[in-house]
Amino acid sequence: MIASIAAVSDRPVQVFVSMNASLAFAKDTPADKRYQGGAFSRLLKEKNAPDALKLFQQGKELGDLKMWVCSMALDVKGWEMDHLVDGLFDGALGLTKFLSDAENGQFITM
Amino acid sequence: MGERTKIDACGAYCPGPLMELIAGLKLINIGDEIEVLSSDKGSAKDIPEWVKKVHHEMVGITQQDGYWSIVVRKAK
Repeated sequence: MIASIAAVSDRPVQVFVSMNASLAFAKDTPADKRYQGGAFSRLLKEKNAPDALKLFQQGKELGDLKMWVCSMALDVKGWEMDHLVDGLFDGALGLTKFLSDAENGQFITM
Repeated sequence: MGERTKIDACGAYCPGPLMELIAGLKLINIGDEIEVLSSDKGSAKDIPEWVKKVHHEMVGITQQDGYWSIVVRKAK
């Protein structure tokens, strides 16, 4: 949510998804297994609030948001890009490239 | 005065009303306005803040019975 709101508010955002986080973006992950955020996560689902995939999509459509998946995470899983949900990722990157691209920005790690 | 489009985002959680407003603004001409109806308390503060940040124009915000009417003019 932070990423999407920032992206639609004239703050360009780049999201780097690595390791365990990449599992949540697999096409074959069922919706109810996608998030493990505890009580609040369950509540948001119960109330039909927009989920993270939807928010990232809105950030991309309406703002300046790019998403990258960690190329090593793909390697370890033996995945290609098409294993991930469609329309979200701009490509696969190594951490070196991401850190260099993001050098002059602010980092938020989750 | 430009045309005014109404978007009913009542019942949507934050940031739904804001996102609907932004999507709506993409479809209208500069000088036209959007009236967002939102029952979300947070959006009543967030939308004016967003409008200021990205340099559109707040026309007005009024609290009605159980919802807010927020009117924004597309400035760029």
